[in-house]
Amino acid sequence: MAPTWPRLLPAGLALAALILGPDALSLAPNRLMPGAPLSAHDVLPGWAWLAVPLLALGAAPWRLAPLAAAGALLVLLAGLGAGAAALLDGAAPAARATLGSAAWVALAALAALVFWPGQRRLLAAALLVLGLGVLAWGGVLDGFSLAVEFRARREAVGAALATHLWLSLSALGLASALASLLALAGLASARLAAFFDALLGGVQVVPAIALFGLLVPLLAALLGAFPGLRAAGFGAIGATPALIGIALYLSLPLLRALRTGLTATDPAVIQAATALGMGRGRMLAWVRLPLGLPHFLGGLRVAAVQAVGLVTLGGLVGAGGLGALVFEGMSQFATDLILLGALPVVALALAVDAGLGAMERRA
Amino acid sequence: MIEFDDVTVRFGAAEAVRGVSVTIPAGALAVLVGPSGSGKTTLLRLVNRMATPSAGRVRVRGEDVAAADPARLRRSIGYVMQSMGLFPHWSVARNIGTVPALLGWPAARIAARVEELLALVRLDPALAGRRPAALSGGQAQRVGLARALAADPDILLMDEPFGAVDPIVRRELRAELTRIHAATGKTILLVTHDPIEALELATHLVVLREGQLVAAGEAAALAAPPAPPFLRALFGAEALALRRLSLLRVEGAALDGPAPAGAPVIAPEASLAEAWTLMQEHGAPVLAVGGRHLPWSALLPR
Repeated sequence: MAPTWPRLLPAGLALAALILGPDALSLAPNRLMPGAPLSAHDVLPGWAWLAVPLLALGAAPWRLAPLAAAGALLVLLAGLGAGAAALLDGAAPAARATLGSAAWVALAALAALVFWPGQRRLLAAALLVLGLGVLAWGGVLDGFSLAVEFRARREAVGAALATHLWLSLSALGLASALASLLALAGLASARLAAFFDALLGGVQVVPAIALFGLLVPLLAALLGAFPGLRAAGFGAIGATPALIGIALYLSLPLLRALRTGLTATDPAVIQAATALGMGRGRMLAWVRLPLGLPHFLGGLRVAAVQAVGLVTLGGLVGAGGLGALVFEGMSQFATDLILLGALPVVALALAVDAGLGAMERRA
Repeated sequence: MIEFDDVTVRFGAAEAVRGVSVTIPAGALAVLVGPSGSGKTTLLRLVNRMATPSAGRVRVRGEDVAAADPARLRRSIGYVMQSMGLFPHWSVARNIGTVPALLGWPAARIAARVEELLALVRLDPALAGRRPAALSGGQAQRVGLARALAADPDILLMDEPFGAVDPIVRRELRAELTRIHAATGKTILLVTHDPIEALELATHLVVLREGQLVAAGEAAALAAPPAPPFLRALFGAEALALRRLSLLRVEGAALDGPAPAGAPVIAPEASLAEAWTLMQEHGAPVLAVGGRHLPWSALLPR
């Protein structure tokens, strides 16, 4: 078993944030004004301090530690929710109770304890998701300004999430097609392979925002020259430049993974396959592709997580998605709106990483 | 039948094989033997076009391999190599069925053939579902042999097939190969650097040194004295003498007239090596062979 003492770090951090942090919650007169900070000591109801013994159990070296940590997280969240509701009781309708930095630090540290590697995390994750569902459904979290913001923009967030997923998948599909072509071409000629590497490596050096900015006038000129493209649904801003730019970024990890997977096959196996009379096509389909699968899935995992992150920047060129919410929030200095866009991006990236990671281990 | 006709193979400036002409008759178990770097593996790989001659011709079943479709040619010739190259992502059964699958056999026929082959190479049918990683070295070698035999090729190429297994399993596999060769009558071309293994297995020997043919012919004839100095150096005089005995039959050497009473009895189809062993064990100078007799002096070369 892995040493247990590093888990004391997040546990200590959570405890310190709760006891010493100045702003567990803050109460603001409206969604844009900064609020007055209130410590955990000020806002948490007495029962919420049950989180502290649970936290100790969550840091202890025993089998149920992740479950205890999940319990601590849920109790703390419920306590903060109750505190927020109490603050808003009797305040003006526009007033907002916002989670402060101490609360975020404590919650994040507890989440780290729940998902600490080397333990049985699945049950704890299930408990956490179930508990969060119950808290949200029961209205316990309604007092948080984030929840208020979400209620006001529920449909926009749902649509942004769908767009985000669609853009990520499309970019991944486009990049996979491009990388497959380049990998097969590179298999035929080492010089060609080196050229593609240099080309895609060059793209990686350009910052994403600059690449999008470059693609917009380029596409505008292209659309000016071929107006038929515009009719076919391409635009100089929106999804087109975002997808092209993101696909270019994703092609490098995918190409590398494809090449590693295709060339990593044991030479004895290749020789045996040749001697048994397999042609190139059969060799690819029966031997090289299945034996390269773990490598391909590894590359796909890296690219998929990158895709979810990069699509966020697509919001800058009008592609929509959760990035649009983030940038709208930034322009309004509305922290809740920024979080409303950013939190699903983080959750999506973690879910994609975990899902593809599980597939990779099974392959 | 496999014919090499003045074959030379160059890799860059180096000549791996130089002007080799030799014919392997159908049904022979021919062993290519020689020190490492003597070009024996290259010669073997010419047969299924894994290597290409720079000059000269290679004919298999009377046809020039240069004119054959490589994939089709290879499917018609079994191939076993030291590192086996079993497909790690496939079960034993699927590994064995590779060539039949390439030839487009229906699944039921492949399954039946796999079962037959597991019995032929004496592998537990329970292993059929296992992955190669779960096999012992000897089992993996048997799977490699079964895979090579799957589509019932009349020619089998074996490149150091027993190099990776321990001496006991090695002896077992050699006996197995001799048995399979006798049972199937296939033409087998086997490469080894181990002279003892060559003498034990071969009906025909092809001896190579530095890419050139040193000697070729029936093993018994090559082993008979006076052996050329290079062969004596390669095989050792003792191994040559014993091998000659194991290739000759008692009935060919027995003399007319009955044996003295109490002489140990030996079957006429037994080898002279077995007769020699029996004489040693019993301290008997004469053996009884039916109504005839075999004195120890009959073991000497005539």
